[in-house]
Amino acid sequence: MTSGPLPRRLGTVVAGGRGRAFLPVVGAAAVILVIPQIWFAGSEYTTGLAVQALEFAAYAVGFNLIFGSTNQLFLCVGALAGLGGYATGILSDHASLPIWVGIAVGTAVAAGVGGLLSWIAVRRSLGVIFTGIVTLAFSLGFQDLLLGQEHLTGGSTGQVVNGAAVSLADTRLGGYYLFAAVVIAFLVVFRVLQISHVGWAFRALRDDETAAELAGVNVARYRIYAALVGSAMIGLTGALYAYSDGFISPPVFAFDQIDVKVLVLVAFGGLGTLLGPLIGAVVFAFVDNALVNSGQVRELIYGAIVVVIFLSFRGGFVPAVVNLAGGLARQRPAQGE
Amino acid sequence: MLEVSTLAAGYLGQKVVDGIDLAVRPGEAVAIIGSNGAGKTTLFRAIAGLLRPMAGRVMLDGRDVTRWPAQRVAQAGVAYVPAERHLFGGMTVKTNLTLGAYPRRPDRETLESVFEIFPVLRERLQQRAVTLSGGEQQMLAVARALMGRPRLLMLDEPSTGLAPKLAKDAFDALVGLKGTGVTLLVAEQQVPLALSVADRGYVLENGRITMEGTPHELDQNPEVRRAYLGVG
Amino acid sequence: MKAVILDGIVLGLGFGLLGVGMTLVYGLGGVLNLAYGEVAVLAAIVVAQAMAGGIPTALAAVIGVLAAASTGLLLDLTLMRPVYRQSGGNKVLLGLLLTLGVAFVIEGVLTWRDPLGALSINVAGKPISILGVPLAVGSVWASVIALAAAAALLVFFGATIFGRAVRSVIQDELGARLVGISPALVRAVIFALSGGLAGLVAVTQSMTAPLTVNAGFNLTVTALIVSVVGGLGSVAGAFLAGVLLGIVDSVSAYYIGRYITSIVLLGAAVLTILVWPRGLLGGGQG
Repeated sequence: MTSGPLPRRLGTVVAGGRGRAFLPVVGAAAVILVIPQIWFAGSEYTTGLAVQALEFAAYAVGFNLIFGSTNQLFLCVGALAGLGGYATGILSDHASLPIWVGIAVGTAVAAGVGGLLSWIAVRRSLGVIFTGIVTLAFSLGFQDLLLGQEHLTGGSTGQVVNGAAVSLADTRLGGYYLFAAVVIAFLVVFRVLQISHVGWAFRALRDDETAAELAGVNVARYRIYAALVGSAMIGLTGALYAYSDGFISPPVFAFDQIDVKVLVLVAFGGLGTLLGPLIGAVVFAFVDNALVNSGQVRELIYGAIVVVIFLSFRGGFVPAVVNLAGGLARQRPAQGE
Repeated sequence: MLEVSTLAAGYLGQKVVDGIDLAVRPGEAVAIIGSNGAGKTTLFRAIAGLLRPMAGRVMLDGRDVTRWPAQRVAQAGVAYVPAERHLFGGMTVKTNLTLGAYPRRPDRETLESVFEIFPVLRERLQQRAVTLSGGEQQMLAVARALMGRPRLLMLDEPSTGLAPKLAKDAFDALVGLKGTGVTLLVAEQQVPLALSVADRGYVLENGRITMEGTPHELDQNPEVRRAYLGVG
Repeated sequence: MKAVILDGIVLGLGFGLLGVGMTLVYGLGGVLNLAYGEVAVLAAIVVAQAMAGGIPTALAAVIGVLAAASTGLLLDLTLMRPVYRQSGGNKVLLGLLLTLGVAFVIEGVLTWRDPLGALSINVAGKPISILGVPLAVGSVWASVIALAAAAALLVFFGATIFGRAVRSVIQDELGARLVGISPALVRAVIFALSGGLAGLVAVTQSMTAPLTVNAGFNLTVTALIVSVVGGLGSVAGAFLAGVLLGIVDSVSAYYIGRYITSIVLLGAAVLTILVWPRGLLGGGQG
């Protein structure tokens, strides 16, 4: 209807109707929901891998909201997930509360702690440094706490989660749909934030923090918002892991188990992008599977990937490839997807 | 001693100065005069190696130093005192002077000759540089530069932030320096001050050199008088 | 109580030594080296292998320190170069991410090649009584080495030309270049020194307790906390903070439990950030 230059897709997303902004989410959701039927529903092993991919996609969306959108390097994804998981485990076991109470409390605690860590760090101008330091120290402290408070957490042996949905773990397909729903919901939240004024503020503070501040964006406040929402996502995912798996132990939420991988797959898929975490999670499910017997070599390879990606493709590997392909096709690819 | 030919330099692909040709002979005092934004600082940064020139050449004693980093240019005997001075504020006056002689240890003789020019620094030796007054900081900046026994001393706007009386004192000190054999290149927008010390001067306008001459010639030039001296 | 505090001081001197290497590199290049602890572990494994190969302990320790110093130097000359070209928040972030990647690589290599690797240096001799408290000889040796290193560093930065040149780069890099100091050279030397200090930490720590192959994360976090509390870029601050935190650590471990110490240290770091944002002796005064 309208004439003029070819509309750029980013412009369309922001201005040309909110419905279209959700097309990528709807597309991803359709693929996630349909794919088991046409591919792996019969194989328990593959389904297990897919569940793990979705679980990490969920962590990654939360981490991406905090780091990708507002540049806060939260090196405590595993610990925040552990807060969710252990709150679920402890409340259902020691307090005999219904499992959903544990999940809700776990999510809230993770959100609170994430928000608090962000609040501490953003109070100083050197926020980037302090975020890294404080969150890393929190990761270490949390692991020690899990091991130390044996009567609550079961120490290094871990604990069984009462009231867990064992049936989910049994067929695995139930777990798949649970995490599928979680990931889709997170993507919707991420998109809603992106197209609202919050997303505008995120972009402004990422491009140039000082300029954003001068333009009246309360940078500190938006950072804390991002940390609250992102940490809630991570905590909820951890809680649902406890709920669906029925057993948790410190290594499940260890730094080298969760943070390393989340960082790698977000960097690979594209920082701050909507579908990057999902794409990264799917790709690294395959990589993980290929490396399943290689033990510590996996960590080595992940480290090398982190270095290479951040040296070469600041915005992420997938966006770089998309940009390149788009450039070859003489078309501007959409940003933020 | 210093020969600059068809030099172009700037930031983010934008040339601030272009086609600069100038020469400074040993023992000479040369002034670059020009208003704010004419490109004096850009030119100095390019000569001193803090800014990579986009075109042209900088020769020092017949050696091509165009692409040398600043620290190497400094080692080769060019001391550049920027308008912002870049003193080591948290360190004492003494340490600042010591570092001026880097990588050698400062020798007594040089130190004494510096104190002769700036006696007040002797009293301030143990004070941290940030606690000095603006005039004293300017003296310290020049003194630190002299500690390395430079053959070419480049001063960018030595009058910056100084009251007229102090600026006059600073330039009187420079006149005293000329006797010691150091070669001077001074950028200054206060033309009378600049001409008071110089043997020769260049006028820099919008990134290009538009005039060259002795202080007397420049002083008498009607355009210079109109543009910089407020007379005409 | 006296014994607990003395233990804390011994521990704290080790913390200080650990924090210095981290804080110097930050002061100079704006990089928080998250691979720092892994460099220490690398040194520990090198020493352990050398000792297993029949090399005398002292020589093996020197080899380990040199290996760690070379690793630091290599990092500076390769991966850190693009970091220095960035500025502000981007610089800090890229530095954190790259060194984190390096940490994963080093830890991956070490645990892959030597999953049970550990360094334990036994210093023979009867406990030495200090203020009536018997201290293991290993602890005394470790503390003496840490104190000697602290003294050497303070002399280096306070009295040598090159040490002052290093401080000048921390204070005003452009000013340093103007007097002919090469920031790249200074950074390379300090990265190597920082690596060497990490190696030295590996040696001293293994005199009191075995240093295992997976200790890197713990060491890095401790070094970060010490350097934040002491003031990023301050040598004296790192040792002061190290000793204070060592006492806090020792006391809380004694009265509450070992597991609580990292939470307590985190609390100390947070409190410092909130009360003295630049640390106890912050501001790059050396």
